[in-house]
Amino acid sequence: MAALIGESVTREKPRARSRAPGHASRMRFVAISLIPILGLLVLFSLLPIGIVAWLSLHRYNQLAPTSPWIGLRNYEFAFQTDPFFRNALENTLKYAVVAVPANIVLSLPIALGLNQVKRFRAVFRTAFFMPVVASAVAVSLLWTTIYDPQAGWLNAFLNQVGLTPQPWLKDPDLAIWSVLAAAVWQDLGYNILVFLAGLQGIPDDFYDAAKVDGAGPWQRFLGITVPLLQRTTLFVVVLTMISYLQEFTHIQVMTNGGPIRSSETLVLYIYAKGFEDLQMGYASAMSIVLMGIILLVTLVQMRLLRSRWEY
Amino acid sequence: MALVQETDVGSLVRQRRFRKFGTGVLYTLFTLVAVVFTLPFFLMLSSAFKSSAEIIRIPPTLFPEDPSFDSFRTVLNDAPFFRWFGNSLLVSSTITLIVLFTCSLAGYIFAKFEFPGRDAIFVVLLMTMMVPFPVLLIPTFLIANELGLINSLWALIVPAMVSAFGIFLMRQFIAGIPTDLIEAARLDGASEWSIYARIVVPLARPPMAALGIFTFLAAWNDYLWPLIVINDLEKSTLPLALTFFNSQHAQRYDLVMAAAAMAVIPVIIVFVIFQRQIVNALVLAGLK
Repeated sequence: MAALIGESVTREKPRARSRAPGHASRMRFVAISLIPILGLLVLFSLLPIGIVAWLSLHRYNQLAPTSPWIGLRNYEFAFQTDPFFRNALENTLKYAVVAVPANIVLSLPIALGLNQVKRFRAVFRTAFFMPVVASAVAVSLLWTTIYDPQAGWLNAFLNQVGLTPQPWLKDPDLAIWSVLAAAVWQDLGYNILVFLAGLQGIPDDFYDAAKVDGAGPWQRFLGITVPLLQRTTLFVVVLTMISYLQEFTHIQVMTNGGPIRSSETLVLYIYAKGFEDLQMGYASAMSIVLMGIILLVTLVQMRLLRSRWEY
Repeated sequence: MALVQETDVGSLVRQRRFRKFGTGVLYTLFTLVAVVFTLPFFLMLSSAFKSSAEIIRIPPTLFPEDPSFDSFRTVLNDAPFFRWFGNSLLVSSTITLIVLFTCSLAGYIFAKFEFPGRDAIFVVLLMTMMVPFPVLLIPTFLIANELGLINSLWALIVPAMVSAFGIFLMRQFIAGIPTDLIEAARLDGASEWSIYARIVVPLARPPMAALGIFTFLAAWNDYLWPLIVINDLEKSTLPLALTFFNSQHAQRYDLVMAAAAMAVIPVIIVFVIFQRQIVNALVLAGLK
């Protein structure tokens, strides 16, 4: 639709303008600049989407001479036969679904407090944001040493206060959640600042008007802050969800999917199938499934955002 | 309710005292939270400064008893650390400069020029933004392989030279620059390239700073793509090299933390200096 309108507009206007001096040189400028840029986009953004879809319908191995068409059999194998795919899918979903409330519950109160704090705000902001700029690999190695069952600080601390030490990353029940805690520690600062930006975007007039009308702090919070923060919250929810659905680095470095695949996520499994077992057709089919999940989340977000508060 | 209390001095004092108490609690809480956030970094440095004997002690000591630079020295002697650092710096700055050029140029063209198919192309561009990179891992690898890029730093640079998101960000901003300014320069006989370089780029500095910071950090910290396309230690970037170094020195947390600290500290220093700009850039880049 937008495309059609755009073309009809451009077709009518230039008639008067096309004779205008410099039209040819402008079009030359557009062509010379845009063709290489769009070429790169086609090569590295558009073409890969086509290739991954094509691969998912074939048995593809870089080393094999032929790649026969096998229809939807890669998908059938994933959903009906392969227990490791199901395991990776479940791990990915539970990881992303828990990450969202964990992030919100921790970052929103901190942002609300930070909005009240006047002095030292920059100091606190620096402290909260430092993990965000650090590399995920360095952070993962750091937390691996903290979680170490023998020499790690966490168990040393638990011993000190009289609690039972845990095997953390070595325990199939705890591994994925231990990684999640480290990842949340790293991302929290970002969400705090997004919430802070949202809070600062609410005009002071609203609060002043409510105060004049006799609204108490709680009424102001529930009546102004909560509804006007809905967009920001939705944004944080979706962004967190999408980024945790793609989790790779923290898990690969800290557990490599173990122990006994208890923390293996989809991207980790796609990587293993595609680049270690060289089953690129099957890995592509799983990539398409992941893309479907992420697009679904994005579309739900766009739908929800359409009918929300504007101020 | 609160308005009537103005004459009630006692209640006012009580309220103020309560507020003061509340602020005190808030600052105490924040200090605690800030400690939780920074403690892991302190632990990283603590490990890095320990001796190989102290690092294996159970329970671990909080402060190194005899702090030394030995582990840093070992990392620098045993591993081509400066090479890795240089690779990361080279790749990240090249990507950033090229992305800033391509995205500002394309953003300008999408914002201020009319040409056939413009809106259709822009819609396709927006759609590609929704597909996350890990989904395209395999085809991107195959394309990079066809182009003969594998196991060279070019494999890290070439696929990252244009960003659909960057073009979108620049277009949104440049659309707000008055067209009259551009038309006036054109009437004065300025060439299209000089209009871009002398008018558009200087005016589009704020989003370019944001895009630059965002791009640089993403490239500097990237792990998944280098893991796939780089095989040689000599061509490694820092995150990839760190995991290799870790696998070579398992359980030598003093060395691993020294290497990690050397990778993280420069970024933290730059962050502390340009704090405001970096925070704004990342928040803006996320919010779109």
